[in-house]
Amino acid sequence: MAKDLIICRCEDVTEAEVLQAIEQGAATADEVKRLTRAGMGHCQGRTCRRLINQMLARQLGQNVSDQRTVTQRPPLQPVSLKVLAESES
Amino acid sequence: MANTSDVIIIGGGIIGAATGYYLAKAGLKVRLFERGYLCSGSTGRCIGGVRQQFTSESSIKLMMRSVELFSEMGRELGTEVHWHPGGYLFLAHDESKKRAFLSNIAVQQSAGLKDVRWVDAAEVRELFSLVETRGLLGGSYCPSDGQAYPFAVVGGYAGKIRELGGSVHAFTEVAGILQEGGRAKGIKTAAGQEHYSNIVINCAGPWARDVGRLGGIEVPVEPERHEALITEGVEYLGMPMLVDYRTDGGYFQQFRHNGQFIGCYTPQPNVPGTSSESTYGFLREMPRRMLKLVPALGEVKVIRQWAGSYEMTPDGNPIVDRTGLGGLYVVAGMCGHGFMLGPAVGEAAAEFIRTGSRGGLLADFALERAFSSREAMK
Ligand SMILES: Cc1cc2nc3c(=O)[nH]c(=O)nc-3n(C[C@H](O)[C@H](O)[C@H](O)COP(=O)(O)OP(=O)(O)OC[C@H]3O[C@@H](n4cnc5c(N)ncnc54)[C@H](O)[C@@H]3O)c2cc1C
Ligand code: FES
Repeated sequence: MAKDLIICRCEDVTEAEVLQAIEQGAATADEVKRLTRAGMGHCQGRTCRRLINQMLARQLGQNVSDQRTVTQRPPLQPVSLKVLAESES
Repeated sequence: MANTSDVIIIGGGIIGAATGYYLAKAGLKVRLFERGYLCSGSTGRCIGGVRQQFTSESSIKLMMRSVELFSEMGRELGTEVHWHPGGYLFLAHDESKKRAFLSNIAVQQSAGLKDVRWVDAAEVRELFSLVETRGLLGGSYCPSDGQAYPFAVVGGYAGKIRELGGSVHAFTEVAGILQEGGRAKGIKTAAGQEHYSNIVINCAGPWARDVGRLGGIEVPVEPERHEALITEGVEYLGMPMLVDYRTDGGYFQQFRHNGQFIGCYTPQPNVPGTSSESTYGFLREMPRRMLKLVPALGEVKVIRQWAGSYEMTPDGNPIVDRTGLGGLYVVAGMCGHGFMLGPAVGEAAAEFIRTGSRGGLLADFALERAFSSREAMK
């Protein structure tokens, strides 16, 4: 497997880095996110989360349907400071 | 015995991780328990600021030690923690703030913090041309203050604890403190497992009161909700952490390692409790406050907002002490400064727990104290 394969495009996190996080004890996508930043990028994990969950499943023998969901935080899309600052209550 | 260690730590934030690391480094076998993932409490919700500009001599000295430790941390832990001395600039928009900052600067300098200084508005303009200086008198500026990345710091400490023969148990809640003959002798997890140790340390941050009660000990720590947000990464602009203490002010900085702006403000009135709910009000208000200080950031996009807790004690100083239950210690109540205090507090707490000697740095942090004076630079 190509270890420099990019898993999280927004944060430039490679497969090797995700594997290392799992070796260090990360057992959920939330923990992988905290250790590697995968999922913290511009798209907020929409692109990489499935891949990470699959890697966790493969490495740790997890069943994908039993995996914990990742906490989703607003805003759902990036919004500029200016638009937010000028928004009405 | 398989379930026996020298030390049990309750809480996997910066305080538990740092204290655990320094105890492990001294040769003790450490077992750390965290009910969520590492950093799931306040530490993973903080904005990563590290400053030495405080008003009491003990806090200033402690923070000078922390800055030393942050600057060596990458090498010490063998991992990139993104320490960057980008500075802190406290802004003064009126004479009384200016006077207060000037007298703080005198205290800070005599405590040994040599590079802190008053900068007037013209110098602010020269140093940081993007900062709005209309209505600004100047500020208290310390270039050796800085930033680091909380998840990397805690991950680094946890990795070292394991490397030194200890263990880190995430998703493992401590539900009870085992006692025998008036002493702590271990913990019981929510799943009913028992782990034994003659030293149990409450590093539960905003939950320190709840964990203290497991051992029958009152720990005066009250959580307060603080919201924060982060933007996409943009080109690093070289600005310090800006701190505006006005009621409609806030704090924010840009991470050098990825160009993201991160910020928060203290709500008026404060919001008690450990809720991590975020609000529209904050999502609208924080950008207003940021753009008031740095108008050029208008096009930068917010990608995430969240909330976490400050862990307040009655006088704004931490608690680092033994308790009425033998073997049970408390290292908590960092009052919204736990990330920056973590390395130095962890080091000093470990020394105290091993040797019983409190040293000068912990003098103000007894569990039983008057709680009368207050740290002003909150
Ligand atoms: C928005 C915001 C911005 C901030 N900005 C800064 C900043 O710029 N600089 C700075 O220095 N500080 C900042 N802080 C404050 C800082 O985050 C805290 O002071 C610090 O993280 C406290 O660390 P801690 O380890 O004591 O607590 P925590 O990180 O909360 O760790 C305690 C841990 O204990 C665990 N726990 C609780 N009960 C149990 C149990 N029964 N069993 C097992 N585990 C348990 C919790 O899950 C938690 O992870 C900020 C805080 C917030 C909310
Ligand atoms: S691909 Fe991982 S956050 Fe966007």
